[in-house]
Amino acid sequence: MHSSECGWQTGRHAALRVCLLHFAFCIALAAPAAAQISLVGDWVGRYHEDNQDRIPGPDLGDYTGLPVNDAARRYADSWDPSRVSLLEHQCEPYVSPHIYRGPLQFRISEEHNPDTQELIALKQYLGTYQQWRTIWLDGRPHPPDYAPHTWMGFSTGEWHGDILTVTTTHIKAEFFRRSGIPSSDETTLVEHYVRHGNVLSHVMIATDPVYLTEPLIMTEEFVLMDRGNQNWLYNCEYATEIDRPKNDVPHFLDGTNPSLKEYAERYGIPLEAARGGAETTYPEYMDTLRRMLAGGTPGPPRTPVAQTLSGPRGEPDPSTGPRSSRAESRGDKARPTGEVHTFHVQGNVYLLAGAGANIAVQVGDDGVVVVDTGNSQATDKVLAAIRQLSAGGGDATARAVNKEIRWIINTEFDRDHTGGNEAISKAGRTVNGNPAAVVAHENAAARMAQAGVADNARPFNTYFEEQRDFPFNGEPIFIYHDAAAHTDAGSMVFFRRSDVIVAGDAFDTTRYPVIDAKNGGSVAGVIRTLNRILELAVPSKYLQEGGTYIIPGHGRICDEADVVEYRDMVQIVSDRIADMVKKGMTLAQVQAAQPTLDYDGRYGDAAAFIEAIYGEKKR
Amino acid sequence: MKARPPVLAFVVVLVVVVATVPGQGRQGSPAPPRTARSAAPIDLTGYWVSVVTEDWRWRMLTPPKGDAQSVPINAEGKRVTEAWDLAKDNAAGLQCKAFGVGGIMRQPGRLHITWADDNTLKIEADAGTQTRLLNFDRAKHAPAEKTWQGFSVAQWVGPPRARGAGPAPTPFSPTVPGGGGSGLRGGPPPAAAISQGGSLEVTTTAFRDGYLRKNGVPYSQDATIVEYFDRLPPSPNGDVWLLVMTMVDDPKYLTQPFYTSTHFKLERDGSKWKPSACSTDAPAK
Repeated sequence: MHSSECGWQTGRHAALRVCLLHFAFCIALAAPAAAQISLVGDWVGRYHEDNQDRIPGPDLGDYTGLPVNDAARRYADSWDPSRVSLLEHQCEPYVSPHIYRGPLQFRISEEHNPDTQELIALKQYLGTYQQWRTIWLDGRPHPPDYAPHTWMGFSTGEWHGDILTVTTTHIKAEFFRRSGIPSSDETTLVEHYVRHGNVLSHVMIATDPVYLTEPLIMTEEFVLMDRGNQNWLYNCEYATEIDRPKNDVPHFLDGTNPSLKEYAERYGIPLEAARGGAETTYPEYMDTLRRMLAGGTPGPPRTPVAQTLSGPRGEPDPSTGPRSSRAESRGDKARPTGEVHTFHVQGNVYLLAGAGANIAVQVGDDGVVVVDTGNSQATDKVLAAIRQLSAGGGDATARAVNKEIRWIINTEFDRDHTGGNEAISKAGRTVNGNPAAVVAHENAAARMAQAGVADNARPFNTYFEEQRDFPFNGEPIFIYHDAAAHTDAGSMVFFRRSDVIVAGDAFDTTRYPVIDAKNGGSVAGVIRTLNRILELAVPSKYLQEGGTYIIPGHGRICDEADVVEYRDMVQIVSDRIADMVKKGMTLAQVQAAQPTLDYDGRYGDAAAFIEAIYGEKKR
Repeated sequence: MKARPPVLAFVVVLVVVVATVPGQGRQGSPAPPRTARSAAPIDLTGYWVSVVTEDWRWRMLTPPKGDAQSVPINAEGKRVTEAWDLAKDNAAGLQCKAFGVGGIMRQPGRLHITWADDNTLKIEADAGTQTRLLNFDRAKHAPAEKTWQGFSVAQWVGPPRARGAGPAPTPFSPTVPGGGGSGLRGGPPPAAAISQGGSLEVTTTAFRDGYLRKNGVPYSQDATIVEYFDRLPPSPNGDVWLLVMTMVDDPKYLTQPFYTSTHFKLERDGSKWKPSACSTDAPAK
């Protein structure tokens, strides 16, 4: 079309053109902004606050400025920096609530929908530890609670004007401060990114119901790099640094950490104040400081230092109190027989959560292997979930021909692991037409028989050796038995090609391990089992994440780093109680000493755990 | 003739659109200029308490003499830092040197922010009983006499705000995080969010020499001090935070701009407001 044909050259339409331009201009003025400030670029930290903490590293015993509870103090008091020399710990990165507190440069880029150009995510590459973060802006929900946790967690963002607010969950356990102040895997992080010119203020507000009594707010400044630099890689290859007994976990027993007073003494800080706490972060605490420095008392007793540094303390911290409702609601405890949820772990293996104990399902051309069968009340839902998986997403013909339930393996003999045995076995079929075979250690079969479990619900394909293996669906499946872990009847299953371990109740992220001594369980066996998992598991990259996934008896999917934390906990508590037994303490005295104080907020009531270890150490 | 109906339609639409743009197209005298108060994109007023989670040792206590860790001081700054003499300051009536504009935000305490008038925001600090006036009126000029708090010029900065939109930010209201696949949705910014936000930029001049830290780490009266005040979206637990980012650029004593960001939590009332005189404790060690 020629321009003159549309009338743009006529005088009357020239006036119209002016009007239209004016119109467009008015619209542009009246319309709200269509996008926020850009955060794209390479940003490098300025360390004008807390330089000691962020660059060279904090002093041991420096808990100042942190709203920590007694559990965090106990954890930090017993923390031996030598622990990071353990092979599994050496290459662990900082978690997202901590990584911005260290030397850091990071790069932000944008990911757009190629069709609409809508901004759907911000990507961050953090040079320290070579970590990646994705901040989703497309409205997706956070993963379910049984999904794996990572160092950086799962993040979603939303804009408030030019402030980007990011919420992150599914973060691994690590530290808020390198002096041993722990952060738990229940931490939620809210960040605000505030850009002014070439300066980016980064605000972190961490909420940790296990170790903090108030949200911890931290702020850092980063400056836009005009030219960037080359220091973007972080090489970490673990190596034996200290010759020590295999599986030793360095830590300080109560009263033996020689460094806890050094920081306070060096700077003339009252020891009580150096131990942190929410009240120490408010201006009015300055009056308390003055009183203490003048030789007076700090006021109402708080965190009795002498007890903290040398042994048991008085009243338990209510924020970490025994068997909190948080622990009860964690993982599958919240829905023992509710909805059954399916989660693809990796390879051919899926998790079914919500049926009591965790259930693992391996699906392939040969058929289906089911590891544990959950509570009997949930069997219909479990079967429905298995059928959906085995049908290849609803292909019933494929199921009928190729994907029968062939094997069931019981990792434990408890009802929450075996309640669906009979029905699920009947729903399956071995190659010779019998109900699906139920496999377990012979002790499990014996214990179930003793308990009066019906024949059809008991395993008849039993084994008695320490290890059994067989191929199925194109991958080797290993079954390991420990003579005395949760009980004397447990099995751990390793799908070698899928790289998934089904741990049984020796590993339970929702509580302390249940040591069923009456049925042959022991803490030594639990530790052996956890160490065996660590021997089998390999992270997917140097920095201790992913790779082998571990399905615990109860709780969320884990990787090696999560098992290390749990193993450390069991070993440390066991060592503490052994030391107390050696000192001649009674069970009541041991319970009063709260040897699990630093973990109770995470794992709940420790009474039975302590009693089981005590009994074992007394023998 | 066929073109006439579209022309008329465009004109009608144009008139309608222009007439419906808020604040425009009114008949009669032009609207009075908007005041800083009415144009405020965020509400900074209220009582705010500093929560000292960073630099605790340097803020809650008087650090040892010569301890300037984290501050990028140059040789002259180091020399002056090491020459600090608290008794001499007190004798000379310079007790407020650590409470000047370059250091007041780092003092543990409370702020009371109010509008002194439609174009002047007032910040009172109970630590040292200091008062700052942030002037939005560009016709005002710095007085000849330098003061501890100097002369501050303020302006709102940030994204354009839809006219008629309220100043309060959209509450940040994720559901309880971490599980079940429910809640915590991010998503593209809603239209209401796009038109919110904004910061207060403050540039201060005409101030006296002062201290960045209680123990005499100096800034000079020739420094450039720029601050940004941001009210952060409410936290999931209801906390509301004020972020004050301060840049002190002082070639006399610093090797590079000194950045600090100080956070304050909104309090319900002034019941904990506790004015005190400028006073610095002797170092604990």
